[in-house]
Amino acid sequence: METGELEVLDLHHRFGDLVALDGVSFGVAAGEIVGLVGRNGAGKTTAMRSVMGILRPDRGAVKWSGHPIGEDDRVRFGYMPEERGLYPQMRLLEQVAYFARLHGFDTAAADGAARTWLERLGLGERTSDKLVALSHGNQQRVQLAVALVHGPDLLVLDEPFAGLDPEAVDALSRVLFEQATAGAAVLFSSHQLELVERLCRRVVIVESGRVLADGTLAELRRRLPAELRVKVDAPPDWARSLKGARIASADEDGVLLVVDPGTDPQIILRAAQAAGPVEHFGFETAGLVDLYREMVSR
Amino acid sequence: MNRTGITRLVAGREITERLQGRLIRIMTLITVLVVVGGVTIPGLIKGSSAPTRVGLVGGDAQALAPTVERTAAAAKAKIAVSNVSDEAAARAQVTSGQLDAALSVGPSTARVEVKESLDPTIRAVLQASVDSAHLRQALAQSGIPVDKVLPALTPVPLATVALKPPPPDRTARTIAAIAAALLMYISLALYGTAVANGVAQEKTSRTAEVLLAAVRPSQLLSGKVLGIGLTGLGQLAIAAAAGVIANAVVHSTKIPGSVWVLLPAFLLCFLAGFTLYAFAYAAAGALVSRQEEVQFVTLPFGLFLLVGYLLVYAVIAHPDATWVRVVSFLPPLMATILPARIALGHVAPWEIPLDVLIMGVSIWATIRIASRVYANALIYSGARLSWKEALQLTGSAPPVEEPSRSAAA
Repeated sequence: METGELEVLDLHHRFGDLVALDGVSFGVAAGEIVGLVGRNGAGKTTAMRSVMGILRPDRGAVKWSGHPIGEDDRVRFGYMPEERGLYPQMRLLEQVAYFARLHGFDTAAADGAARTWLERLGLGERTSDKLVALSHGNQQRVQLAVALVHGPDLLVLDEPFAGLDPEAVDALSRVLFEQATAGAAVLFSSHQLELVERLCRRVVIVESGRVLADGTLAELRRRLPAELRVKVDAPPDWARSLKGARIASADEDGVLLVVDPGTDPQIILRAAQAAGPVEHFGFETAGLVDLYREMVSR
Repeated sequence: MNRTGITRLVAGREITERLQGRLIRIMTLITVLVVVGGVTIPGLIKGSSAPTRVGLVGGDAQALAPTVERTAAAAKAKIAVSNVSDEAAARAQVTSGQLDAALSVGPSTARVEVKESLDPTIRAVLQASVDSAHLRQALAQSGIPVDKVLPALTPVPLATVALKPPPPDRTARTIAAIAAALLMYISLALYGTAVANGVAQEKTSRTAEVLLAAVRPSQLLSGKVLGIGLTGLGQLAIAAAAGVIANAVVHSTKIPGSVWVLLPAFLLCFLAGFTLYAFAYAAAGALVSRQEEVQFVTLPFGLFLLVGYLLVYAVIAHPDATWVRVVSFLPPLMATILPARIALGHVAPWEIPLDVLIMGVSIWATIRIASRVYANALIYSGARLSWKEALQLTGSAPPVEEPSRSAAA
């Protein structure tokens, strides 16, 4: 077991009759950014709250560096809940420094770190303003500063991109990359799949409290039938008798074939060449949006 | 950081936030004004208890002046006599308030005119003076030398022996009892509500979830109670100091040493009462879904405190009644009644360990239940919870779907 690795093991939890988690397991390694994807009510927030120790799951375990999470580990975690919230009447510097101190910093270090983060997030001029005086977007930045101020080894961010303008999305993306590069394990949830695709090497798709898929985008693609576009100067009839592939559509751009996993594309290429000159032969790269739709609908 | 370090940090934030707020300054000012007013106003009223002004109308009455003064002195009544020429003038002065009473004496009649009523003591003094003069006159007319009869007229001193004398400081003790109960009622309700509001604010602003990622619920709860408790104690100390200074300035009531001895007991009562109520108020604050609901959920505690305070007046009237002992053992009422009973000096020695035991167990049970309700309810984001629901919750998320988002996939 590597140090700085998060393991979520077989979490079960119910709220009354509602099953929120039904055997959720996944991991986040040090330096890795993992995206948690799923529809509303799939169990993302419950899983993240379990990781943060805010909620005690009915069953299952959460481990850090191979051992059950203790208080000394938890102060090294940073968290941004889905429902944002900070003290409205507290000044920014005091507020961010207070959270640094709750995570074990002494007064001077907390002040220094709070100032650094507020400046990095573009709030250096407003350190003595009260939180309520800030715009929604700026309040989000303070929330991020609170999650980052103590230099966490694990970052858990529930919908960190919700409600951000494109500029703020880029800024947050940069911060997440930096944190991961510096060795932090980063777990975040999002409905913005194109963002997840851009940021994460690995994706965990949850649905009804279960993990539907867990892997890199390339791995996920391999688990689905691939889409192959072939343009041959001939009618599409050549493709009708192929084994392990069927026609999804046919038009002037050629035929789009759905190829079952395990089918050798060379056989298809030879069949195409036999029909006429091949003008185009290539796999369509499925994006996370397609993968997600496909997985959830199955 | 260790556990107490976190609690201290949370408490420190509470104190800083409160000291920065305008509310605390206003509240401290009001408390100081109420206390100073309460101390000085009775003193000022007492200071105006001037002697009763009695006008002696005509020569016969005016001849009584030395007798009236002597009798008044013996009866420890304050009477100032003055001479008035005739009845019409006297009546005018009584009506206008320049005189409190006008005495006129005839050969066998005497009349005192007053505006509304006459103090019984003053009446007795005047009656005795008139009687004495009448007797001397009658003796003189009968030719009996006054000197010979005088010894017979000397009153036999009547010694009063109280079998159960009231403590010499009873007035001070009664005042202390009411003050202690009132202060306890106001401060517990005030700081209890402050705790509930603080908890509700952290819950409704969703700060609680960020905090709970770093801090245990028990640390958050105890830090909040500690911070607000210390702020309250500081505020009380300022008010008490203002009261003592005001008392020294106007010499309102001589504070007997016995009352000072009670201060540590009062402090202990405040700490116990505050702990009991603050944790209950905190749990109530965690039940709400909106800040405005705090008033409703904390209503029962406010009522307990009010009833306890009002009962103190009955306790003062019947300090040794059995029912007084019984109700003072009920934990929610003990907080206000016990300090008053201690002030009155009517707590039997055997009651003290029992009080400590009952209070200790109540505080322990309250902290346990309150901590559970608090931890369960704090990050529950549904509608306001009942106490039962909050105790039964196992997780802390709502049993409903997460709110849908515009950016949904």
